[in-house]
Amino acid sequence: MKSSSPPRVPCWLLEFVLPVSYRREMLGDLIEEYNLRTHSSSALKSSLWFWGQTCRSVPSILWSLLRNGDWFTRLMTAFGVFLAMVILRCSAGAAVSKLIAPGEITQVVLAPIVSLVTTAIGGCVVARIRREATVFLALLVLVSVAVLIAIKICTTPVPWWYEFGFLTLGPTSVLVTPAVVWSLRPPTKRVVEYK
Amino acid sequence: MKRGELLGSLEYIVLLALVRLGGSAYGLLVLREIAARTGRNLSIGAVYGTLERLEEKGYISSSTGEPTPERGGRAKRLFQLEAAGQRALQISDQTIRSLTAGLKSRRESL
Repeated sequence: MKSSSPPRVPCWLLEFVLPVSYRREMLGDLIEEYNLRTHSSSALKSSLWFWGQTCRSVPSILWSLLRNGDWFTRLMTAFGVFLAMVILRCSAGAAVSKLIAPGEITQVVLAPIVSLVTTAIGGCVVARIRREATVFLALLVLVSVAVLIAIKICTTPVPWWYEFGFLTLGPTSVLVTPAVVWSLRPPTKRVVEYK
Repeated sequence: MKRGELLGSLEYIVLLALVRLGGSAYGLLVLREIAARTGRNLSIGAVYGTLERLEEKGYISSSTGEPTPERGGRAKRLFQLEAAGQRALQISDQTIRSLTAGLKSRRESL
């Protein structure tokens, strides 16, 4: 049977999120079913099925990563990177307020950018050290943002979507950025890993 | 009976699917079997997460098959039911039987 290529982005995401123990096998299963479906239905429908399976699989994979394995080491790794992120975020915030934008409104505008860059860097660092710890870092970011919102650290009145953006985009940035960075690596290296 | 011996609902379903498939089965076959028999459209991630957990508990074992081009050069992971898994299934069956025994008339009257 001639095999066709499944959508690349969900493949990258799964390659990133799946534990080593069944990464290749589960992706193989998905590709097998995808190829079967492309022969019986349209490529669009098959791609949608692949996307659907990926989106539904990721939460259960992350949950099983949290439940199983050496969670203490992962949590400690995530916590170490989280502390480094806090230092980086505070330093960047101080630099922005002193050098670029002393005004409170400008800081409100710049804060999401600084935070997103910090979480993206943190996500890449933790994925480099211990990939399984990424989900713990995302959870730490989620909890810390929720606490900061609850204690109303931002004195300037902001709309609800501004806070909601922090709450959702921060953890998402931790999880997605390393996957995107990984997908941008030269293809030759990736082929070697697949084999 | 120890607390850990009673299977979760998904573990129970996945183990039963493995028994039905017999011999060696891989994740995709388990997913298809569950969908065909129960109508439950599970995600492959949920199936693999459960299979992994069952293997850690020693209820099933796995071996690697041959890679094929249809799978993008990736091998299958073949799962087999172990004696401990068989025993866990028996315990769960027994528990359900003892809890449902004599309840038919009462459940119908609800």
